[in-house]
Amino acid sequence: MEKYKSHLRLRRNILVCFALLAAATGLFDVFFAPEAVRDNAVFEFQLGLIHGAGILSLLWAVRDTRSLRSEAALRLAYNRENDERMKAIRARAGMPMLLISSAIILLAAMVAGCFSAAVFYTLVAVAAGQLTLGAAVKFFYMKKL
Amino acid sequence: MALAVGTTRQTITSIETGKYIASLPLAYKIAHYFGLQIEEVFDLSEYLREGGD
Repeated sequence: MEKYKSHLRLRRNILVCFALLAAATGLFDVFFAPEAVRDNAVFEFQLGLIHGAGILSLLWAVRDTRSLRSEAALRLAYNRENDERMKAIRARAGMPMLLISSAIILLAAMVAGCFSAAVFYTLVAVAAGQLTLGAAVKFFYMKKL
Repeated sequence: MALAVGTTRQTITSIETGKYIASLPLAYKIAHYFGLQIEEVFDLSEYLREGGD
């Protein structure tokens, strides 16, 4: 359990750093980004993605901090993360490869968006479709198992 | 009990309703929790008759 505690602390610190980085990037984009760049779908998408990721990171960091406060909460968090049924469900839904490939597709969309809007929207739709399908399969097996 | 054996309440419920079959380590932990043998807690004879999935 000590190993898990140190793992949680490390994860919490990384999440807080990422949340601060997202906040700094967001502030820079809102106040200091050149006007020519701002009126652009790719720019708005990047801004939304960074803000969303920052907010999620902050929420997860708060959850990890609460888990670290008591042994019972730590035990619950450990059981939740290492539950064999959820591991089997995640494996059937294609996690974590689905998340990694969706992140790569979104990054490619942001790069391609600098050259072609059609490619940008297509790749974003592909990533969204992939994530939706993975979530649907996960919910199906959560009911079945 | 879920907390004691290292799993979640939903997993225990799934095992009780027969939707999920526990792995050997988990089955051992559950049997040990009750102070019984695995065969006394889990009955998979129907699963064996069907030949499994």
